[in-house]
Amino acid sequence: MEKDISESIAWAKINGDVLKSLEAPRKLYWVILVAALTLFGVGLGCEVYQYQIGMGVANLNNPHVWGLYIATFIFWIGMSHSGTLLSAILHLMHADWRKPIYRFAEAMTTFSLMTAGLFVMVHLGRLWQFYYSVPYPNERGLWPNFQSPLLWDAMAIFTYLSSSVIFLFIGMIPDLAICRDHLHEGWRKKLYTILSLGWEGTDRQWRNFRVTYLTVACFLIPLAVSVHSIVASDFAMSQQPGWHVTSFPPYFVAGALYSGCAAIITLFIILRYVFRFEEYMTLPILKKVARLTFAISMVWTYLNAIEFAAVWYSHDQAAKDVLLQKAMGPYAPFWWMMIFCGSVVPLMLAVKRFQTNIPVLFAVSLLLNLGMWLERWMIVAPTFSHGYYPWTWDGFQWPSWVQWGMVFGSFGWFTLLFMLFCKIFPSVSMYEVKEMVYHRSLASKKNELAEKGAH
Amino acid sequence: MSVTNLLENWSQFRHGHPVDDKPHEEYKWAMAIDLDACTGCNACSVACYAENNIPVVGKEKFNAGQQMHWMRIERYWPEDGREFADQGAQFLPMMCQQCEAAPCETVCPAGATNHTADGVNSQIYNRCVGSRYCSANCPFKVRYFNWYDYPSTDNVWPAEMTQQLNPDVSVRSKGVMEKCTFCVQRMTAAKNTARNEGRLVRDGEVQTACQQACPTNAISFGNLVDPESKVAKQWAHQQVELSKEVQAKDAQEGGTDLRGYRIMEELRLYPSVMYLERVRESAI
Amino acid sequence: MIENGFNRRDFLKVLGWGGAVVALSGCGNTSVQDGAEIVTSYVEPPEYALPGIGVYFNSTCAQCDAGCSITGRVREGRVLKLEGNASSAINRGKLCGLGQAGVQAHYNPDRVREPLLRNGDKGEAITWDKALGLINEKLNGVKGDEIAFLTGAVSGHVKVLLKNYLEALGSKNHYAYDAVAPSVVRAANKKAYGVEMPRLRLDKAQVVVSFGADFLGAWVSPVHFSQEYAQFRKGSDGARGVLVQIESKMTLTGANADRWIAIRPGTEGILALGVINALDAAGLSLPADVAAVSKAYNAERVSKDTGVSAEQISKLATLLKARTPSLVIAGGAAEGYKHGSQNAAAIALLNRVLGNIGKTIEAPANVPFPQVAVTTGNRSSVQALNDSMANGKLKVLFSYGVNPVFTAPAALKFQDNLKKVSFKVVFANYLDETALAADLVLPLDSALEDWGTAVPEYLVEAAQLNIQQPLMEKLHAGTRGTGDILLALLKQRRANEYKDYEDFYSYLRSAVVKNKSALGGAGADDDTFWGETLSEGLVKLPASNGALSAKSSAAGLVLPAPAEEDSAYPLHLIPAVTANLRDGRHANQPWLQESPDPLTTIVWDSWVELHPKTAAKLGIVEGDIVEVTSRSGSVKAQAYLFPGIHPDAVSIPLGNGHTALGRWAKGVGINAFSLLDQVVDKDTGELALNETRVKIGKTGKRVMIVKDEGAAGGSQAGKKIAVSASTDEVELSGEV
Ligand SMILES: Nc1nc2c(c(=O)[nH]1)N[C@H]1C(S)=C(S)[C@@H](COP(=O)(O)OP(=O)(O)OC[C@H]3O[C@@H](n4cnc5c(=O)[nH]c(N)nc54)[C@H](O)[C@@H]3O)O[C@H]1N2
Ligand SMILES: Nc1nc2c(c(=O)[nH]1)N[C@H]1C(S)=C(S)[C@@H](COP(=O)(O)OP(=O)(O)OC[C@H]3O[C@@H](n4cnc5c(=O)[nH]c(N)nc54)[C@H](O)[C@@H]3O)O[C@H]1N2
Ligand code: SF4
Ligand code: SF4
Ligand code: SF4
Ligand code: SF4
Ligand code: SF4
Ligand SMILES: [Mo]
Repeated sequence: MEKDISESIAWAKINGDVLKSLEAPRKLYWVILVAALTLFGVGLGCEVYQYQIGMGVANLNNPHVWGLYIATFIFWIGMSHSGTLLSAILHLMHADWRKPIYRFAEAMTTFSLMTAGLFVMVHLGRLWQFYYSVPYPNERGLWPNFQSPLLWDAMAIFTYLSSSVIFLFIGMIPDLAICRDHLHEGWRKKLYTILSLGWEGTDRQWRNFRVTYLTVACFLIPLAVSVHSIVASDFAMSQQPGWHVTSFPPYFVAGALYSGCAAIITLFIILRYVFRFEEYMTLPILKKVARLTFAISMVWTYLNAIEFAAVWYSHDQAAKDVLLQKAMGPYAPFWWMMIFCGSVVPLMLAVKRFQTNIPVLFAVSLLLNLGMWLERWMIVAPTFSHGYYPWTWDGFQWPSWVQWGMVFGSFGWFTLLFMLFCKIFPSVSMYEVKEMVYHRSLASKKNELAEKGAH
Repeated sequence: MSVTNLLENWSQFRHGHPVDDKPHEEYKWAMAIDLDACTGCNACSVACYAENNIPVVGKEKFNAGQQMHWMRIERYWPEDGREFADQGAQFLPMMCQQCEAAPCETVCPAGATNHTADGVNSQIYNRCVGSRYCSANCPFKVRYFNWYDYPSTDNVWPAEMTQQLNPDVSVRSKGVMEKCTFCVQRMTAAKNTARNEGRLVRDGEVQTACQQACPTNAISFGNLVDPESKVAKQWAHQQVELSKEVQAKDAQEGGTDLRGYRIMEELRLYPSVMYLERVRESAI
Repeated sequence: MIENGFNRRDFLKVLGWGGAVVALSGCGNTSVQDGAEIVTSYVEPPEYALPGIGVYFNSTCAQCDAGCSITGRVREGRVLKLEGNASSAINRGKLCGLGQAGVQAHYNPDRVREPLLRNGDKGEAITWDKALGLINEKLNGVKGDEIAFLTGAVSGHVKVLLKNYLEALGSKNHYAYDAVAPSVVRAANKKAYGVEMPRLRLDKAQVVVSFGADFLGAWVSPVHFSQEYAQFRKGSDGARGVLVQIESKMTLTGANADRWIAIRPGTEGILALGVINALDAAGLSLPADVAAVSKAYNAERVSKDTGVSAEQISKLATLLKARTPSLVIAGGAAEGYKHGSQNAAAIALLNRVLGNIGKTIEAPANVPFPQVAVTTGNRSSVQALNDSMANGKLKVLFSYGVNPVFTAPAALKFQDNLKKVSFKVVFANYLDETALAADLVLPLDSALEDWGTAVPEYLVEAAQLNIQQPLMEKLHAGTRGTGDILLALLKQRRANEYKDYEDFYSYLRSAVVKNKSALGGAGADDDTFWGETLSEGLVKLPASNGALSAKSSAAGLVLPAPAEEDSAYPLHLIPAVTANLRDGRHANQPWLQESPDPLTTIVWDSWVELHPKTAAKLGIVEGDIVEVTSRSGSVKAQAYLFPGIHPDAVSIPLGNGHTALGRWAKGVGINAFSLLDQVVDKDTGELALNETRVKIGKTGKRVMIVKDEGAAGGSQAGKKIAVSASTDEVELSGEV
C-alpha cells in the first residue's frame, strides 16, 4: 500500500511549510479572494434590496412561500458535517490519515454554519424582528413556540456553531503556540499569543489537551447528527405530502455527510495547490476521501430509494403525486439532474484510476455538490407546487435574480471566510502531521525489522 | 414570567383542541356553507376586502401569485369528459377553515398564530416574524403573506382610499402573514357588548362580513356551544361532529343522505367550517 | 362564567383604539399649508361622528339600476363600508360585490374635482359661476329641438327636475340610454303580459327555465333574484326547485343550473316552440293559436335547428309538465338577435301554455307617482341621438350618467358625430371617454355625497321610493350634486318657480314632505316624518298592484330559420355582461378588477372565450393572443378555452378596454363594444347585441393568463373538495 505521508519529512520542514501558507500563497489565492468578495457584494446588494422592498422581489408567492433560501440553508447545514465527520468521527476511529486535512474541514464546519445562519435571516419576512423566535427572557412574558421545529433549529444550530468553534479552537492550540514561537513581531504574534493560552507543551498540558479534545469530539458527534435531524424535522414534522417522511432525518444526515465529503475533495484540491501542500495533502489521502465519498453516496442513494419505496407502499396518494410530479412535472429536469449527479456521477469514484486523478476528482466533486444542492431544492419546492390542495397547484415558480444573487453571494461569503482563515491560521495541523510522520516512521521501522525476520 | 411559572403552566398553554376533558366553555365559533345555495357571485370576497383592509395588488402581482383574497371562490368543472359543462360549474368559497388542530399553529416559531379560547385560529400580526412556516404547513393554502409593503405601494391605497380603511382592523405591513380571522373584530365587539350586559352573545348578533353580504344566505356563522344557534343545529342535523375525523354517518353502509362534510377531514385538522354538498336534479 | 368586570387593560385598549382613530381621522381633516398645521379638535365633534363608534346611515346603491338599499357604516365622519339595508324588500340586507364597491367610486382618487372647460386639448379649471353662466350663454338663441339631454335610466326627483329643465328649454329630446338593458324583453313582456317588467316569482316556482337571463349575475335585480333563488332551491319541505338554463354562452346563472343547455346562437325561440310541441306530445292541452304555430316544431326539426337533442327536449317537457308552477324567463341571450322580439314572444308563449301567468308571473306594483317612476334606458335612443347628431341638427348636448363614446357600437361612429355638436356638457364623476370629448365637464358629487330619490324598475311587494342621502361630507369642495346643478340651471330659466329652494335638498325635502300623507306619514309633523324617512332610507308607497293583461298570443309569431353560415365571419360574437363590470362604468373600482370573474377566474383583463373544440380546429391554446375581427372592428386579446360555450360562438366580456377613466381602468383589456355591427331587432329597433359575426386569427403571441385558477385548471384531482350529489342521493327535508 502507498504511504499516506512520507516518513522522511523533517519536523522543522513541516513547521516551515505550513507557516509559509500564512505568508506567501500562490497568486490564485488572491484571485479567489477577490472573486469571493465580489460575489458576497452581489448577495449583500440583493439582501439590501429585498429588505427595502419586501420579500416579493424574490418572486416567492402563495403557495411557493419558501424557495432557494431554505434549500440553500439546508445545503450549508449539510456542508457543515464535513468537519465533524473528519475530526470527530475519524478521530474516534483512529483514522490517522485524517490528520493533515481535518483542520480545514473543521473550519468548513464553522463557516458553513455561519453561512446557513444567514439564510435563516434573509428568509424572514421581518428580519428586524427575528428575536421573537428566540427564547429570551422579556418583560412581556412572551416565549417562542417550543413546539416549532424552527425553534429547535435555531437552538440546535446555535449549539452546534458554538461547539464547533470551540472544537476548532482547542484543536489548534498547539499549532497556535508554534505560530507564536515562529512568527515575527506584529498583530498576528499578539493574536497567537493570546489564543495559544500559554501553551508550552508540558506533559500535563498534553494530557489535559487530549482529554478535552476527545470530550468535545464525543459531544460533537451526536450534536451533528441531531442538527441535521432537526433540519429534517422542519419538513418531516410538517403535514405536507413529500415532506412528511419518516426516513428524512437519516436521509438528511447522509446527504449532509455526502455533500461535506464532496466539498472536502474540492477544497482539498484547491488548498493543496494554492498553499503548496502537496506533501501533506497527498494523493493516497485523497484516495481515501474519494472512497469514503463513494461509500456515502451509495448510502444516500439507498436512502433515496427507501424514500420512494416508502411513499409508494404507503398508498398516500398526495405523497405519490408529489413524487410523480418531481419525476415528470416541471421540476423534472432538475430532479433528474439531482439523480444523475447524486447517484450516477459518484460511480466514477469506484474506478481506481480516477481515485487519484485530480482533474477528474475536482470535476466530480463539483458535480456531487451541485447534485446535493439540487437535492435540497427538490425537497423544498415540489411540495409547494403540488400540495394537498389542487386549486393552488402551481406549475413552477422560478426564483428571481434576487434569490439567485443571494445563493451565489453565500458561496462568496463562505469562500471569503474560509480563505481568510487559511491565511491567518494554519490550515494543516502541524502537530498532528508530525505525529503522523512519527507513527509512519515507527511503522516502517517495524516493517524493516519484520523483513529482516526479527520479531 | 419566570421559567418555573412557564414550566408549571405549560400544560395549560399547550392545551389543544378538540379534546374531551376541556371542551370549549362559552364560545366555539363555526360556520356552515351551503354549496347548493352558493352561486359563486363573489360578493362575500369583496365584503372581506372591504371589512378587513385587504390590499388590491394589481395584475402584475396577481400574476406572480401574490394576491391577498382571504376568501377565494374556487370554480370546479365536473370531470366527466362531456362536451359541455352541462351541469354547470361548482363553486366553493374557501378561506381559513379555523382548524381545531391547526397545523399552522404548531409550527410557528414565534407563536404568532394561536388557537383562541373561542376555537378560532388567531393571527397576531405584531408577533409574526414572517417565516411563512404556517403557510407551508396549511393544507388549504389560505394564508396570505405581505410580500410587499402594500400601504406604501403605488395605487394600492392612494391617500383618498385610505379613508375607507376599517379602523377596527390593522393594516398589515410588509413581511407578516395574514388570513381570514372569522372577522374577529366583530366577534370581539359583540362579546364586549354582551359582557357589559352580563350575558352571552346571542345567535345572529355577530355576523361575519362575508355572511352578511351573501345574497343567497349560503353562509351561516355562530356559536357551536349554544345548541340553539343555527350553526349548531345545522351541524347536528348533518351529523357532523367537531372532534371526529371520521363521522359516524360516513361509516354507514351505503353512505348517507345528509349533505354535511368537512374538507380533508382525514388529515385530522378538525376544521370549523362545514360545507353542504351541492345538489343537482336527477330528473333532468 | 361571564366576567363582567371591565378591567384596566380593556379600558386602556378601548381608549387606545379611540385615540388612535381620532388621531387618524384628524390627519384626514388636517390641512397643511406653508408648513402650518391646523389640528381639528374633537372636543366638540360633529354630531354624526362619535369617536370610535360606527354609526349607520341608510341610502340607496347607485352602482346599478336595481335600487338596492344600503346602510353605510360611518366612523369619525368617514364612510367605511356599505352593507344592505334590511328594510328594503329588494335586497333584504344583502349587497352584491358591485354594490359594495360603491365606496371605491366615492373615494376614487381619479374623480373630477372642479368644472373643466375645454381649451384645445386640455381642460381648464373654471368656477361654477362661470360654468353655469357659460351654459346659459351657449343656450341663448338655440332652439329647443337643437338641444338634447342624454342620460341613463333616471327616476325620482332628479328626473322631475330634468324634465322641467328640458321643458323650460323647449326641448323634447331626452334620450335614456342603457347599453345592456333588457329592452327587447321589456317590449315583448309588454305585448305578452301587458307590463314591461312583471314580477317573477322564483320563490314560488318549482322549475325555472331561463333562456339566457343571468338573473343571478347581471340581469335586472340580481341581489333580489339571488335571494329568491335561494328560497326556490330550498323549496318547501325538501322539494328543491330545478333550474334549467338555455344559452349559447354560460352565464353565472347557467353555471348554477341543474341542466345547462348549449344552444345554437339565435335559435332560442325555436327551442321554446319545440318544448311546447313536446308538451303537446306529452298530453298538455294547448290553446288553438299556439298549437297551430307549434305543430311545425317537431322534436327532430328543433333538434336539428338548435343543436339540442330530442331526448333533452322531451325530458324538459316532462319535467315542466310534472312540476308546476314553473317560470320561464327570456333574458339577454335570447333577445340579442334581429328576431329577438320574436324569440322573447315565443318564450312568453311557453309561460302561457304552462299556466304560469298569474302564478309565478305577477303584476308589478304600481308607482302612484308616475312623474318619479323610472324612465328606463334602451339602445335605440342612442341610435336616434346619433342620427340627429350626424344630421348636424344638434347644437347643445347634455350628458349625464352614461358613457356613449365607450359603449356605442363601433358602427355608429358616435365619437365622430359627437364632434358635430358645438357645445357638449358632460356631468361626470371621472374623466371617462365621453367626458374627454366634452366642451364643459361638470364634476359631480359621488353617490355617497349626494341627495336624491330613486324608484327601481323592478319592484317587489310594494312600490318604494328610495332615498339617497349623503353618508359623509363632501370629499372635494368643487363637486356638486346632480340635483343642485339641475336646480341652478332651472333657476336660470324659471327663477320665480324655484326661488323658494335654496338647494336641491330643500327642494327634495319639501317635495317629499308635501306628499307625506300619500307616503304613509299622515298626521306626523314634517320634521318627524322627514327624519324617519331619512333614517329608514326608503318610503314604501301605498300598495296598489296592477293587473296583468295576458295578451300573449301566437299570432304574428315568425321565427326565422337558424342563421346561415357566414364563411367570411364564421363565429357568433356574444358580448358578455358580467356582474362586476356591466357596461364598463365601474372598471375603475379596483375591488371589481381584482375580484375574479366567477367562471374563468380571470382578473384585470379581457379574454376571448372559445369552446375547446373550436379552439382545437383553429389551433388555439389557452393564452394565445388572438385577433377577433368583425365587419366593424377588430381587437386582440388572450384566448381562454371554456366548456360553457357553443362551438359556433365566441364570447368577450364587456366593460374593459378603457382609454380613460383613471388609473385602474385605463389600458386594462379591450373594448368589445368596438366590434359591434349595427344590426337591430326588427320589431323594436334595439341594437341586437349578439348579431355580430366574427372571425378569429392567431397573432403568434402567447401570454400566461392572469387568473386565480391554478395549474390544475379547476380539477379536484379526485379529492373530495367541492362535493356534489344528485337529488336522489340526498334528503333535504328537515334541513335547518
Ligand atoms: N401599556 C401601558 N402601560 C402603562 C399605561 C398605559 O396606558 N399602557 N399607563 C401608564 C400609567 S399613566 C400608569 S398610572 C401606570 C399604572 O400602573 P399601575 O400602577 O401598575 O396600575 P394598575 O395596574 O392599574 O394597578 C396596580 C395594582 O394595584 C392593585 N391595587 C388596587 N387597589 C389597591 C390597593 O388599595 N392597595 C394595593 N396595595 N393594591 C391595590 C391592582 O389590583 C393592581 O394589581 O401604568 C403605566 N403603564
Ligand atoms: N377605567 C379606568 N380609567 C382610568 C384609569 C384606569 O386604570 N382605569 N387610569 C387613569 C390614569 S392613571 C390615567 S394617567 C388616565 C390616562 O388617560 P388619558 O390621558 O386619556 O390617556 P391615553 O389614552 O393613554 O392618552 C390620550 C391620548 O393622547 C394621545 N397622544 C399620545 N402621544 C401624544 C402626543 O405626543 N401628542 C398629542 N397631542 N397626543 C398624544 C394618544 O393617542 C391618546 O389618544 O386614565 C385614568 N382613567
Ligand atoms: S385552514 Fe390553514 S390557516 Fe386556517 S387554521 Fe387550518 S391550517 Fe391554519
Ligand atoms: S409567518 Fe408569522 S405566523 Fe407564520 S409561522 Fe412565521 S412567524 Fe408564525
Ligand atoms: S369570516 Fe370575515 S375574515 Fe373570514 S372570509 Fe369571511 S369576511 Fe373574511
Ligand atoms: S356571496 Fe354567497 S353566493 Fe356569493 S360566492 Fe359568496 S357564498 Fe357564494
Ligand atoms: S344589484 Fe345593483 S343596486 Fe343592488 S347592490 Fe348590486 S349594484 Fe347595487
Ligand atoms: Mo396614570
